Amino acid sequence: MPKNWKSFSIFGGTIALLALLPLFTNRSDVLTWSCLTLQYILLSQSWNIIGGYAGQVNLGHAAFFGLGALTTRYLWLAGLPFPVSLLSGAFIATVFALLIGIPAFRLRGIYFVIGTLVLAEILKVVIDTRFPVASALSTETLLTYSLIPRYYLSLMGAVLSVIAVYFISRSRLGLGMMATREDEDAAKTSGVSILQNKLIAFAISTFLAGLAGGIFAFYMVAIQPGYVFSPIWTFDSVVIVFVGGIGTLIGPIIGSVFFVLLKQWLSLHLPGGSHLAVFGVLFILVVLYMPDGFIEAIRRFGKMMTLGRKPAVQGR
Amino acid sequence: MVQFLAQTFVNGINVGALYGLAAVGLSLIFGVMRILNVAHGEFLMVGGYIGFWLFKLYGVDPFMGLPLVGIFLFLIGIVFYKVVFSRVAKFHEEVKLKNSLLIAFGLYLIFPQIAMVLWTADERAISPKYSGQAFDLLGVRFGYVPLWNVCVAVVIVLAMYLFLNKTYFGKSLRGTAESWKAAKLSGINIEWTFMITFGLGISLAGIAGVLIALTQELTPVMGMPWTLKALIVVVLAGMGSIVGAFVAGLILGIVEAVSAIFMGPYTIAIGLLIFLIILVLRPRGLFGRA
Amino acid sequence: MFEVNHIDVYYGELKALWGVSLTLDKGEIVALIGANGSGKSTLLEAIAGLLPPTTGEILFEGVRLDKEPSHRIVELGVCLVPEDRGTFPGMNVLENLELGAFSKRGRKEKEETLHVVYGLFPILKNRRNQLARTLSGGEQQMLAIGKGLLSRPKLLMLDEPSLGLAPLVTKNIFEAICQINQTGVSILLVEQNVHIALKVAKRAYIIENGRIVQHEQAKNLLEDKRVRQAYLGIHST
Repeated sequence: MPKNWKSFSIFGGTIALLALLPLFTNRSDVLTWSCLTLQYILLSQSWNIIGGYAGQVNLGHAAFFGLGALTTRYLWLAGLPFPVSLLSGAFIATVFALLIGIPAFRLRGIYFVIGTLVLAEILKVVIDTRFPVASALSTETLLTYSLIPRYYLSLMGAVLSVIAVYFISRSRLGLGMMATREDEDAAKTSGVSILQNKLIAFAISTFLAGLAGGIFAFYMVAIQPGYVFSPIWTFDSVVIVFVGGIGTLIGPIIGSVFFVLLKQWLSLHLPGGSHLAVFGVLFILVVLYMPDGFIEAIRRFGKMMTLGRKPAVQGR
Repeated sequence: MVQFLAQTFVNGINVGALYGLAAVGLSLIFGVMRILNVAHGEFLMVGGYIGFWLFKLYGVDPFMGLPLVGIFLFLIGIVFYKVVFSRVAKFHEEVKLKNSLLIAFGLYLIFPQIAMVLWTADERAISPKYSGQAFDLLGVRFGYVPLWNVCVAVVIVLAMYLFLNKTYFGKSLRGTAESWKAAKLSGINIEWTFMITFGLGISLAGIAGVLIALTQELTPVMGMPWTLKALIVVVLAGMGSIVGAFVAGLILGIVEAVSAIFMGPYTIAIGLLIFLIILVLRPRGLFGRA
Repeated sequence: MFEVNHIDVYYGELKALWGVSLTLDKGEIVALIGANGSGKSTLLEAIAGLLPPTTGEILFEGVRLDKEPSHRIVELGVCLVPEDRGTFPGMNVLENLELGAFSKRGRKEKEETLHVVYGLFPILKNRRNQLARTLSGGEQQMLAIGKGLLSRPKLLMLDEPSLGLAPLVTKNIFEAICQINQTGVSILLVEQNVHIALKVAKRAYIIENGRIVQHEQAKNLLEDKRVRQAYLGIHST
């Protein structure tokens, strides 16, 4: 595939550079910022799989992030080796996903939307009630806390998610997903197994989300259990995907970078949580006027300016 | 023991009536427009706050103020429809529904922030003079306010039923809910119908908000839990029945009240359980058609 | 009275109609025949305002229909009874008929028109409290046409009224259609049952792959050898 050489080498080069980053800098703010961005890439790509490629709107994504986070955290702090805890977290997330997915996907789309929303909210309330106290790392763990392994873990997670999306988009599964997204009835008559496609997409999506949660749980010094179930996590994923370009490989990557930068900037200049309101408005504007993504719209606008005429509108 | 159960039953009805009222607006909007308004609770919250401020600043009795809140939220609903939701009308149906969902989701994130800035995160409640009063009947306690709430809710649902089944415009709403194409071809102005329906649904949410604020706390983040209750009720009731939504709300209220006895603070999980049970055993809900 | 001038219509991204033109004079019955997928329904839907044409114009009594929303088109007197009947299955017969009169023009004489429709299709009166979806195929078609009539149309468009109906029922429906025409309602008829369409219509257009390929007096088409072969399945030796 000679024409893909360029993209592969760019991708490989970027990973190499990122892998070498800790060697070049010691600054914890750069590492923190990069760590968060990479985690967001993982989380948003995971939503991209179900929301972008499979076209099923999951408004309860935080549930799976949270399940992964709490499971990983408690198993790890209980003494289990971290890799086991991490994978268990992701696995639990997927189990809950199938709990909702299997009954919901057989029915109309809104049942999936309601189901994921209900799951997320109920988990949040139950966890908040049952575990109101924040979990903090013990002093000895704190002493050995280092950003570096967490950075590499986040990098691996992000790379994994990009590879997953890459292979899905080129596989038969991906084709089936996208066909289902575009026209479910037509897909069915073409022999696509709707239920299977949606379930597999959902399973992969929530597994990665659980992974993101687990990595986050490893990364954070102290966690308030209810926090990882906050709808913020769903919203962040969705905004990133939409801003970057839904259903594309590179969209969530660009979106994550843009998002983290913007969030940093906004929280410096705006009080409390009101950056949320700004993101909310931005999100709505993107949905209404720039469905292909904010970044894409800027690109097209730029092209329009330089070429002096409107480029052909992409058909959908 | 019987008394205890009866009391639980009455408590369940008190809350259930509110669940039902919250669900009716959501069901109406979804039925006619196929928009799942996940920001429904946010408008409920706004209605509650407006009722609160009318009471606190101008001494307007919350029940007397209901028509005011209703009209105000009706207008807010129309504005939101025109400014935000109607813009997705130009897309194809599938995309239209997904985008409406996402927009409502965006609103769900924005409203609490704005409410917090405007009214602070402090918990409030509407407490007129007759607030805590109650009477006893056969050992069961009936609070005046919850009783009034139930009555108001019943009256409103009845009014909705009459509107939808006995008035020409109401019938056109039902027709639109059945088929947009058939409605258009009958000479029904669908955009106008959507606008009015949305306003009506939001108005119902606002009224529910005031009633809720009379018996529970008012906070900027109360929206989503109520949206959720409304969603579960709508699934329980099934699509297409307004009165069914109200009855399902009552049922949910009673089931929760009874479960609370042995589930305590985890009663909320009942909602998820009910949702899953319905999905597996009877997807079209208790009263749904088709 | 009614003209379609060179319209192109897209169904999503697919071009469905290519430069289609037709005319209809007051009081006429004009038939549009063609195979499945030839664009017949698309044309009617475009006229009714469900699918806007990308070029060309649609004129009814001097007004540009292609620039109006569907409910305004009904208001102007053009009414479509679509292939899937366009009724409200969960509402009863009476409610369906009443909603057919929702436009201002229909509302004015609702009671009178209802009376006329009951006269035309007495069974609808008997079943007026029954849910539309419980009616038989023929009754549903009668309901659909009756509902259309309640908008007091000047031009009534019927998409495949004989679809799925037994021959006797079809005959009754078409008798009713002729009666409706005699009261002065112009009719644009899309039909798969070419034989009966050509018998009631004055003129007919043949549409193939989104293009009008022939336009003739109906009785001439009945004799036309090619039409007989292609659409009537009659092979002469």
